[in-house]
Amino acid sequence: MRVLLVDDEEELVATLAERLEMRGITACWVTNHRAALEAVDRERFDIALLDVRLPEMNGLDLKRLIEAKQPTMKFIFLTGHGSEEDFNACSAESGREYYLIKPVQIDVLTAKLHEICAEQGDRQ
Amino acid sequence: MNGSHGKVDTLGLDYFGRMTASISHEIKNGLAIINENAGLLGDLVALTDKGRPLDPARLETIAENIRRRVQHADDIVRRLNQFAHSVSGPVTTVTLREIVESTVALAHRIAAMKGIAFTFSQDDTIKVETIPFILQNMVWICLKNIFQRHDSDTNLTLDFAFQEIETDVVIVMNFSHEIDTAATKAAISEEGKPIILFLKAQIYNDQTNRTIQLRMPKKFID
Repeated sequence: MRVLLVDDEEELVATLAERLEMRGITACWVTNHRAALEAVDRERFDIALLDVRLPEMNGLDLKRLIEAKQPTMKFIFLTGHGSEEDFNACSAESGREYYLIKPVQIDVLTAKLHEICAEQGDRQ
Repeated sequence: MNGSHGKVDTLGLDYFGRMTASISHEIKNGLAIINENAGLLGDLVALTDKGRPLDPARLETIAENIRRRVQHADDIVRRLNQFAHSVSGPVTTVTLREIVESTVALAHRIAAMKGIAFTFSQDDTIKVETIPFILQNMVWICLKNIFQRHDSDTNLTLDFAFQEIETDVVIVMNFSHEIDTAATKAAISEEGKPIILFLKAQIYNDQTNRTIQLRMPKKFID
């Protein structure tokens, strides 16, 4: 499984990537939308974990740009707010099950990544 | 503030809500980072069962990261506490720089998201007698409208300078890049009208020199 992590907090995203790698998940991390789009141009990912509130471009808009490049990719939105506004916006995009609030427990995240990947496999 | 200043109160509530939301986001991010670092410590310890030795230098780095984040969170909470107490503050004499710096500190995450940095020119001795929370709110309304009109593809530096002219004081906002100062001034004037009236302030713009100025009496007039 290959996962793209996008969050403007470098320490958060780098540590999360290292912990996912320890669990056998290949994780690439970036801290802004430009680097995310470059990564998607360079390699294929199964799932992207996107911060809802990125600098310069929000996670929902970034999702649409990534989707145009890799239509089969799945998305999990990550937010620090847990506000109704964020929740509704992300629910409309991905379904409520793909919306996680920081801080995320690694076991919950890992289980969700495997679940999404399995669903993808079933469909293909 | 009494009932006759209802619109000023409403703007103050809006400001307070926006800032506390932004600060809570910063705290959440800090907690998320502490959570990941603590989790990483656990993961490294768990790996010793599989024969991978612990690296003391690595553990020290992670512990230092946690300490740094706790310190940062403590700074944020202290800022929030000061801000919360400022809401009901009386008329006080403060330097313009103190007012602007505290407003900028609260808004720095929102500014960073828009690619905006702040600098301060030298004069930090000019004082104003005011209700600090209301003047902070006015500075925030200026910042918010500047943020909204800034194209986030370019980085903007906003330099603050302070002047004393006769019985007035002035906060001068200088922009490093072209922005429509007339439209920004109009939007600030519209949104901040109740506070501008309350502070007996005036807003000016100078497109050629890329500045917006907020001018008010140095003595608070109730």
